[in-house]
Amino acid sequence: MNRVTQTYLRFPIARRIEHWVMMLSFTTLGLTGIPQKFSASNISISVIQALGGIEVLRTIHHTAAIVMMLGSVWHLLVMGYSTFVLRDKMSMLPTFQDAKDGIQALLYNIGFVKTYPQMGRYTFEEKMEYWAFVWGTAVMSITGFLMWNPITSTKYLPGEFVPAAKAAHGGEAVLAVLAIIIWHMYGVHIKRFNKAMFTGKQTEAEMLHEHPLELADIKAGIADRRPDATTIRKRQMIYYPVAAILTVAMLGGIYGFINSEQTALTTITPLTETQIFDPQTPQP
Amino acid sequence: MRQRIQTRPPQIWTVVLLLGLGLLIFALAFFASPAQAAHSYQEDQPSNDFCLACHQEEGIDKKLGSESLPVTINPTQFGFSVHAEEGINCVDCHTDISDYPHPDVKVKNTRDFTLTFLETCKDCHEEQYSKAHDSVHQIAFDAGNKNAAVCMDCHNPHTQKRLTGKTSGELTSSARVEIPETCAQCHSGIYDQYKTSVHGNALTEENNTDVPTCIDCHGVHNIQDPTTVTFRNSTPFLCATCHTDATIMDKYGISTNVLNSYVADFHGTTVKLFEEQFPGQPTNKPVCTDCHGVHNIAKVNNEQTGVALKENLLIKCQRCHPDATANFSAAWMSHYEPSPEHYPIVYYVNLFYKFFIPAVLGGMIFFIITDIYRRIVNRMKGAKHA
Repeated sequence: MNRVTQTYLRFPIARRIEHWVMMLSFTTLGLTGIPQKFSASNISISVIQALGGIEVLRTIHHTAAIVMMLGSVWHLLVMGYSTFVLRDKMSMLPTFQDAKDGIQALLYNIGFVKTYPQMGRYTFEEKMEYWAFVWGTAVMSITGFLMWNPITSTKYLPGEFVPAAKAAHGGEAVLAVLAIIIWHMYGVHIKRFNKAMFTGKQTEAEMLHEHPLELADIKAGIADRRPDATTIRKRQMIYYPVAAILTVAMLGGIYGFINSEQTALTTITPLTETQIFDPQTPQP
Repeated sequence: MRQRIQTRPPQIWTVVLLLGLGLLIFALAFFASPAQAAHSYQEDQPSNDFCLACHQEEGIDKKLGSESLPVTINPTQFGFSVHAEEGINCVDCHTDISDYPHPDVKVKNTRDFTLTFLETCKDCHEEQYSKAHDSVHQIAFDAGNKNAAVCMDCHNPHTQKRLTGKTSGELTSSARVEIPETCAQCHSGIYDQYKTSVHGNALTEENNTDVPTCIDCHGVHNIQDPTTVTFRNSTPFLCATCHTDATIMDKYGISTNVLNSYVADFHGTTVKLFEEQFPGQPTNKPVCTDCHGVHNIAKVNNEQTGVALKENLLIKCQRCHPDATANFSAAWMSHYEPSPEHYPIVYYVNLFYKFFIPAVLGGMIFFIITDIYRRIVNRMKGAKHA
């Protein structure tokens, strides 16, 4: 085994599926959302026409939103398991070290320091993207709810919140789509085509290159110290019921998100204002 | 008593009068424009004066079945008509008549008598005639509704004055003022609403011709069915023809941004896309008339129905959103552009993203550029990127 053939599991299959779900729903949301924001542009008009019109487009957008919400629920459950049952290190949490790493990387790039920072399981670039995604999903969910359920929302909030939500939803969408195109594309596709999210594995060379501290922990045998089977079983006994309740609550939330109101009648009654033929002198 | 068989020799004044009349008719025929002269100058045609000699008598009528058709023609009124002005002869339209007694009229009611002239106007007014053939009136007529308007219902040929400026070809102001009254003959209920509307009131009370009359929205001659989906979907663009025109709107201090602000909103975006892509497909999103009214359009600050008043607007919202409560109507920005005064939250959200997006993306791009730079430098040095 050399550094090219020796591989390490970076993402188990469940995480890869999760990535696919988020990737597809995000792409769908972007493709059906951006044309709504820029609906006057000819490209948007073509996209809307190709997908069968604005109402179809909105239905696709809503469906993708539901998929992403379900994906987020799944992610929270997996994270809960990893944190509570397995007591994995919360390696995605941003730390002060990440800020220092970022600055060091920048200084290295422009030639002010001699060495690139050595990072662990998640680099500052990955953490930044992850938390940007979390932030974006939160903003999009809240503003999306306000637009999806304007009647329910305005029972408790001023009416102005609805157009404000639309403004934020559109602004955040542009930011998210461009950030993915710029940051994600460069970071994992252009700089180096990082296949870990598809194959699940990284070679030792890649690990040494990108996650040297994690590799060191693995080599030292302190990376994934799993609790013993009895402890896991004991924690599962607590986690599963709690998770079940949380799942029901979150799914209930999504159900409410989708069904809390019938916003508008689907057909409007025509304005029957007056008799059309109504001669001044009655006809004989 | 012997009957007198020989008339007296004509007195000299009678001869002079007849000669004078003859000269006058000759002169009229001579000085009339060549086209009309050629059309009307037929020796055996009776003159208008010949017809009017009998038909100016008041109160005369013709019995058609159980109905009576008034056949009086007021020479003064006829004299003001565009047809008299253009030297059109009675017999140019009444082609079956050349002498007295007239041929028998076979139809049994006045409407049928009118309809015997259906094709008559076509000879001179081909364009208007064929346009009218594509109209909702013609469709109703073809479907068997004999009351559906034909040419003569709107344009009484004996009294119709000139409608367009002789040189400009544009509809004259006085003609515009009269249009709604013409349509009112059959559509009186709509006319009554129109009269009270902001448009109709200005026209009928102030003779203001900036406002739309019937034909500005419905067209003239080729009037389309205004209850179709296509017509509804195109409404915002119809209203916008005047309401985005600053030369009209500035006089009244009305915003010309109404179409843009409508299209920028969820409702308007949808309707615009429907109008462009599926004009015949219905959408449940409102058009101008759903909130502002159709023939009864009121000023937005009108206390009873004006939609600038929250409670009036909410009633409009509830037509499609039955569960809407008081705050809901403010979700529609009332054609305002967000500003620190109007819809400040929307304004500041937009402002935030205006700076936040370039700041974040700019930071990313800057970092990426430094990364690319380092890679190039390292490659040139033969070193490996850390």
